[in-house]
Amino acid sequence: MFTYIVRRLSQMLPLLFFASVAIFSLVALQPGDPLDALRMANPTMTQEQFEALRRGHGLDQPIYVRYFRWLGRAVQGDMGRSRTYGVPAAQFIFQERLPRTLILTITSLTIALLVAIPVGIFSAVRQYSAGDYAVTFFSFVGLSTPNFFLGILLMYLFVIYLPETFGFRALPAGGIPNLMLSDLETGRVTLGEYLRQWATYLVLPVFTLATGSMASWTRFMRASMLEVLNQDYVRTARSKGLNERKVLYKHALRNGLIPIVTLVGLSMPSLFNGALITETIFSYPGMGRAIFDALVNKDFNVAMAALIFIAILVVFFNLVADVMYAVVDPRIRYD
Amino acid sequence: MATVDKAIRSAPLHSENAWQLAWRRLRRHRLAMVSLVVLVLLILMAIFAPYIAPHDPTAQPRGAGLRAMYFQAPSATHLLGTDDLGRDVLSRLIYGSRVSLLVGFLAAFSSVMVGTVLGALAGYFSGRPLRFYVGPLAREAGAWRGSFAVWRVLSWGLYYGALYMVATVAWTLSEDAVRIGVAGEWTTNNILSAVGLVGTWLAVAWAAWRGVTARFRLDVDIVISRLIDFMLTLPGLPILLVLSAILRDPRSPVGNWMYAVFGNAQSVVIIVLILVIFGWITTARLVRGSILSLREREFTTAAESLGASQGSIVFKHLVPNAAAPIIVEGTLQVGIAILVEAALSFLGFGIQPPVSTWGNMLTNAQTYIFFAPWLAFPPGIMIVITVLSINFLGDGLRDALDPHRRQT
Repeated sequence: MFTYIVRRLSQMLPLLFFASVAIFSLVALQPGDPLDALRMANPTMTQEQFEALRRGHGLDQPIYVRYFRWLGRAVQGDMGRSRTYGVPAAQFIFQERLPRTLILTITSLTIALLVAIPVGIFSAVRQYSAGDYAVTFFSFVGLSTPNFFLGILLMYLFVIYLPETFGFRALPAGGIPNLMLSDLETGRVTLGEYLRQWATYLVLPVFTLATGSMASWTRFMRASMLEVLNQDYVRTARSKGLNERKVLYKHALRNGLIPIVTLVGLSMPSLFNGALITETIFSYPGMGRAIFDALVNKDFNVAMAALIFIAILVVFFNLVADVMYAVVDPRIRYD
Repeated sequence: MATVDKAIRSAPLHSENAWQLAWRRLRRHRLAMVSLVVLVLLILMAIFAPYIAPHDPTAQPRGAGLRAMYFQAPSATHLLGTDDLGRDVLSRLIYGSRVSLLVGFLAAFSSVMVGTVLGALAGYFSGRPLRFYVGPLAREAGAWRGSFAVWRVLSWGLYYGALYMVATVAWTLSEDAVRIGVAGEWTTNNILSAVGLVGTWLAVAWAAWRGVTARFRLDVDIVISRLIDFMLTLPGLPILLVLSAILRDPRSPVGNWMYAVFGNAQSVVIIVLILVIFGWITTARLVRGSILSLREREFTTAAESLGASQGSIVFKHLVPNAAAPIIVEGTLQVGIAILVEAALSFLGFGIQPPVSTWGNMLTNAQTYIFFAPWLAFPPGIMIVITVLSINFLGDGLRDALDPHRRQT
């Protein structure tokens, strides 16, 4: 196992190198010069001044020179400055935006699991019942609904329809509460109030983001349980007279959960893609929104910092998923 | 006794083939059949859009009283109302099905094609490295025979071209530091750069010398599997956004070329292209797995011993035997392609207005949801209905095509 992890880690470095080359080239090849906005804002700027500015930013160099310069700084932890916000890109992404996205994604992931696992078990145990058909139907609907449409739908329902018809005004249309952690420390708000406010702002984005994973994991859980329930050891457990509860939760469920472990590890990329769209709809200032804005505004350093971070995260979670798979299933051996 | 007799007599004389069997099983799958009907209707709607649509989808009202023509709520003349530019929503919806379905089917078909070819090659040649490079003076039997002769010459160009590039890149990167060093200012940084430059050049020289007589074999499976690992590392949606922006830029040579070759169809071609870039992966993994097990079966050995060429073994004997999962995957890919196209268009990186797609109709719908909520529902509902039908059909096909699976 140890040698396996070491080997995988050594494969990660070249993989990340090539990924960073690809991401860098694509982001750098984007149409429009990063300094175009500056030029628009200063119509009196001469061509010479513009060229000098480009040289100052190293933009006159060939792309591979820019890449190695960027890499040289990045490995020392210097991700450059955000052109839009004027703060260091790393600080902007990791201190300001990432925690918000993590709150969003981790809450969605937890809720998706909490719903998908029991519903999947129910659906498998009652195979071909009306309940199973309903679960299957709704998980197909969940899989087929784009999350941007779901987001708009929820926004209409909770921000326009329910308030106008029933006077239900509990949920905001988007954004985040106007609160800081320091407010909590200085006692401007109580902990309960702080959490309550965050919860109201999170309900709609979390539900939007969680639905897709919920639907697909329910189907996986159902399939996985069905397979386990047909195994010989389940029949053995039943025939030795164990009650159905014990068979289900001690013998079947433990094995049925194994594929879910891998699935959750591998769902990282789709969660971040979903976060990009969800955050855009609900004006939630997280990392997904930051990436989108950075790509539109040609904020090169922010885009690179965030995208490289996601690449590292994806590679890392792939490894974690594989290792966890071997940990929870002793039949799997890596050599 | 009589009923048995009757049953025997009414049974078909020749047994049905696998496709007829699958069709019979599919017909029993009620949801799949309903979905098939819905899909056919949607396709007909897309084909006959000009005859069905009540208005021109891009026509904007002119003349007096303009304000009243924007954001009209649904009425008898405009069944689904009008949008922010006074265009008829129903007509835009009907025309939007053309782009959405076309992109969905084209992208899924191309992804599955690319995935099948790459997956089949990876599976069949796994563990059987192919001759990849034979240097100009290397001796190897048959290295001048057939199409490999052409590749052999080409590969010299690639090999020495790559070495030249490495040498040049090393020079550009270290030029300034080395020049200052040679002028007498040997700081640590300058020394490191000089050592790096000399080291790289020595390595390049050694590789160039070895390349004259070297022979390399390459396992296609390893290359394709690593490529898949690499693709999965890239953050999908942001990369799609960037690719779309690059290919659509009229100022760049690529964007210019796309426009010159494909004209107004360019935006559809670009979307299909970038969907295929990420779309082939699942099919390739699936096909690779199937081929890996199929190539060990007796019929493959039989074909090999009869002297069938490798191409015909892979594409005439192995791939058709993996057709069932490929067809199911192809169906599901149509749904995925429609969803991704809609997401890209929604974010403004897909098909551009005035051409309408279900995705870009939702972009504006969100902006105006507070006073024109009727704009949001129709395109979203169309996407859900289409993708849902495709997913049900795919599920039905999976059951129908796999004889080992019990009916659900």
